[in-house]
Amino acid sequence: MSQFFRYALFRAFRNMRGNLFPNLTAIGIISISLLLASIFSLIALNFSYFLKRWEEKIGVIVYLKKETSVNEVEEVLTRIRELQGVESVKYISPFDAMAFLEDRLGEQRSILDGIRPKILPPSIEIDLRREYRTSAQIKELISRIKTIPNIEEVQYGHEWVETFSGLNHFMHLTQWVLGGLLLAAIIFIISNTIQLTISSRREEIEVMKMMGASPAFIQIPFYIEGLIQGLLGAGLAISLLFLLYEILLQSLTPLLKGWISPIPIFFFSGETIVAILAGGMVLGLFGSFIASMRVLR
Amino acid sequence: MIQMFHVSKTYPNKIVALTNINLEIPSGEFVFLSGPSGSGKSTLLRILFGMERPTSGEVIIHGMRITHPRFKKIHHLRRIIGFISQDFKLLRDRTVWENVALALEVVGCPPQEIKKKVGEILLRVGLQERGRDSILSLSAGEQQRVIIARALVNQPLLILADEPTGILDTRMKEEMMGLLLDFHQNGTTILLATQDRELLQKFPYRVIPLQGGRRMDIIEEEVQEEG
Ligand SMILES: Nc1ncnc2c1ncn2[C@@H]1O[C@H](COP(=O)(O)OP(=O)(O)O)[C@@H](O)[C@H]1O
Ligand SMILES: [Mg+2]
Repeated sequence: MSQFFRYALFRAFRNMRGNLFPNLTAIGIISISLLLASIFSLIALNFSYFLKRWEEKIGVIVYLKKETSVNEVEEVLTRIRELQGVESVKYISPFDAMAFLEDRLGEQRSILDGIRPKILPPSIEIDLRREYRTSAQIKELISRIKTIPNIEEVQYGHEWVETFSGLNHFMHLTQWVLGGLLLAAIIFIISNTIQLTISSRREEIEVMKMMGASPAFIQIPFYIEGLIQGLLGAGLAISLLFLLYEILLQSLTPLLKGWISPIPIFFFSGETIVAILAGGMVLGLFGSFIASMRVLR
Repeated sequence: MIQMFHVSKTYPNKIVALTNINLEIPSGEFVFLSGPSGSGKSTLLRILFGMERPTSGEVIIHGMRITHPRFKKIHHLRRIIGFISQDFKLLRDRTVWENVALALEVVGCPPQEIKKKVGEILLRVGLQERGRDSILSLSAGEQQRVIIARALVNQPLLILADEPTGILDTRMKEEMMGLLLDFHQNGTTILLATQDRELLQKFPYRVIPLQGGRRMDIIEEEVQEEG
């Protein structure tokens, strides 16, 4: 049995060497299409992570009139706490706001020289309960808040959330459609390359059939060839993707530093990488299966 | 070893190659199939080797009913048969050694054994010096000897030979017949199609004469049966 597989491997490699250019082309095309697909899904992945984090943070910020007294602030806080869907409230004084800004600006804090905390308005951050984070309920809540006196302005991010989650849905959908098309294209490429190999081995296959070679003996080298194409294509795609990811990270990190709260950019997990490689092999097998169905029987 | 019942073959172009052939060849027998060109000898051998399906009739070889509509084990059939025929081409882009070795590789023979057996059979057909040569560098007679070596290297139970000596010179012809007789001595069943009278006279084996796709030796019986 091991003899059988050693010989099948030998024949698969010899076939690939004999058809080197079509094989390399197939592997190249497979890796480019998988690369495009994974760039896209990596962006989609990071985007939905970002969106989730952001949704968790979503809250409403209430800016108070500048001259609001401490008692009046207490009054506003109490009334907001009583509203449905409010998880917690946090008062941010002009001094807190100033400290926060200084902290964020780091070395560039000198921009703030000469600015006094007084010009910043006091504000209240409202955290919402998870189940009250839909845009309809946020709107409802905001209309209630606006009836409370001493409130200058109410800011909330629901329009952003709506746009983003719409985009997120769209990306998911595109991912599936694009993914489906790419899968079909990859199977098509592999099956065509294998068909090419099979026809270049036509005479040998005929002779081997006459010698009593079993169908498995004849077909398995072509399955191995498809498997290797899929595996190498997927491996190359992931390596390229990782390279791009590292380059992007290297060049983005200094730009992001100090200004925005750090957004982590994720790469695929180990399991996903294994799944992509396995997927490549399955596609390869499937492609060569189609090829052998079409030209070997 | 071989049983044929009422086998007829009409090719798609309407040519009738065999008509109502019945025959039985017990294990270990040496039988000649004789007849002029176009009499259906090659067609009969191709049917036995599973290269053609008869239009009607039954064929049983070594217990395998190869005419059964669901017979799928054609590779099992071919593993017990050494087929010597111009229809079974050599791979022209390979060496002599590779051509013969392939017959053992496809049945999963281990490499050491392949080396030993190929060496032995090439010696037997007088091509021991030509192993590394390409098939293209061989004369027609030498190529025929490679075809014979390839068919015999697996020690088949049954040898089907279609005019195996046709293009060999007298000396080579005798050597090849000697080789087949050795196999016969060891119990191999042999069915040899030939038009060579000299061969038929020289060896005292049963002859099945074909003409126009019919057996000439039992045509009377057949007429009686039908009448
Ligand atoms: N593949 C084929 N297609 C059509 N007709 C064929 C084919 N092979 C042989 N024949 C015809 O069948 C008849 C028997 O041929 P064949 O079996 O080759 O006879 P032999 O080997 O005795 O010369 C001949 O008339 C031949 O032309
Ligand atoms: Mg003939």
